[in-house]
Amino acid sequence: MADWHKILVAVDDSSLSERVLHYVGEVVGGIDKAAICLLHVYPEPPPYYFTEKHTLQEYREEKEAAARQVFNRAGQVLAGHAIGESRISTICLMATGKTFSKSILQVQKEGDFGTVVLGKRGISKAEEFLFGSVSNAVIRECHDFTVWVVS
Amino acid sequence: MTKTLNDIPQHIVALYKAHPVCSSIRRQPKVFGDTSNFTSIDYGDVIVADNRYFVVTGHTVEGRFGVDDQPKQWVPKVVDLESGVSHILKLVFHEVFSVSVGSFTIPCYRSPEKEARILELTEDHPRFMKGKAVEDEAGNLVRILDIISGRRLDKHIYRHDCSHQEYFTAYLPAILKEYLECARAISFLHQAGFRHGDIRRDHILVEYDTGTFRWIDFDYEFYLPERPFALDLLELGNLLMYLVARGNYPPKKIVDDPGLGQKVLDTIVPDDLSLLSRNRVVNLQKLFPYIPDAMNNIFMHFSQGASVWYDTVDELVADVEQVTASL
Repeated sequence: MADWHKILVAVDDSSLSERVLHYVGEVVGGIDKAAICLLHVYPEPPPYYFTEKHTLQEYREEKEAAARQVFNRAGQVLAGHAIGESRISTICLMATGKTFSKSILQVQKEGDFGTVVLGKRGISKAEEFLFGSVSNAVIRECHDFTVWVVS
Repeated sequence: MTKTLNDIPQHIVALYKAHPVCSSIRRQPKVFGDTSNFTSIDYGDVIVADNRYFVVTGHTVEGRFGVDDQPKQWVPKVVDLESGVSHILKLVFHEVFSVSVGSFTIPCYRSPEKEARILELTEDHPRFMKGKAVEDEAGNLVRILDIISGRRLDKHIYRHDCSHQEYFTAYLPAILKEYLECARAISFLHQAGFRHGDIRRDHILVEYDTGTFRWIDFDYEFYLPERPFALDLLELGNLLMYLVARGNYPPKKIVDDPGLGQKVLDTIVPDDLSLLSRNRVVNLQKLFPYIPDAMNNIFMHFSQGASVWYDTVDELVADVEQVTASL
């Protein structure tokens, strides 16, 4: 079993993410051993993006700039729970040829994170069928690590 | 600059002049090596692709959505002047639009590249239309498709004038065997990372001479990053239910059907309706009580009452295989 103090937190620019960060801060703020990695996954550009004369490089730069803002805001939230910069790392990646859930699982595996924290939007059955639920998919696939789902 | 017959080899011009199109055209035909501006290409014009000369004999039409006979200008019907063989060409049309699935909107677009790659992948697969993708002189990906001599599946199932029960017992088992082959073919695409993208009852043609079901039209692509195959799966389920019921059953149709009527409609509860459309009953056993439980359970995976659903086409196929074997 991986060390649960190595915590991977999936974040985006939603208010749900902010609630997730507050939750994580409340729970592990006082535990010095806890190291937090903020993960921002963004989708591949829709293929019609390229027909509009854009490039992959442009897309990546735009998404990475957005991720920096997400990480800055997340850092501020965590700082409010006494989690300093030295305990926070960040990863921003594009879900290339795979789903968000698979991308998160890959980062978990590569980084040997013992805890993965996700937000759950609360979607209808129909939405889940069509668009999928990242949290459900990660829970279904999790082995040897812990998942916290914050709703 | 617009090309004319003067710009193509003399023996091709002779073939053109011998073709019936030539006698019915009242203008100077144009020759297109660049198909970018496909709306300018008309009856009697010549398209050059793959070092072949195709005379345009008409355009295919979109006929399912109440816009009957709406010509698809990017899909001309043609004849190869040298071989005399008829084909359908698909020209590049980068259309981006949204499709509504229930109350949701999904971004969708046409991808000539995807269709070309599937044509290549399924070159030897008997369940897909055949064709070749080539670049025209401007680099547009032109798909030269073989014509399938067959009938649309939604017409095929109405060939026999009989009751639903007779259809169910006498004809459906053979239809489901073919359906299964088509569903396996979609699984084959998914395993290669492709989606069909536009699974509909009129996108399977049933060959006149063999009865083989074959998929056509795979240039639609949609954007569902977390559940990339969900829409194909949903539409395969809808197609299965359409085949079993020999039609879709919205509440109004149930009321209007003398064999069903208000009495049957009154038994329908929200959980009997489609997960994505409240206008479609999927608990078909309530309409046709001779549908076996195991078959109806498959349909209920697509219902509002479902607590689990199929994640892959293979899961659906496994259940349909079992049910079909017992019919």
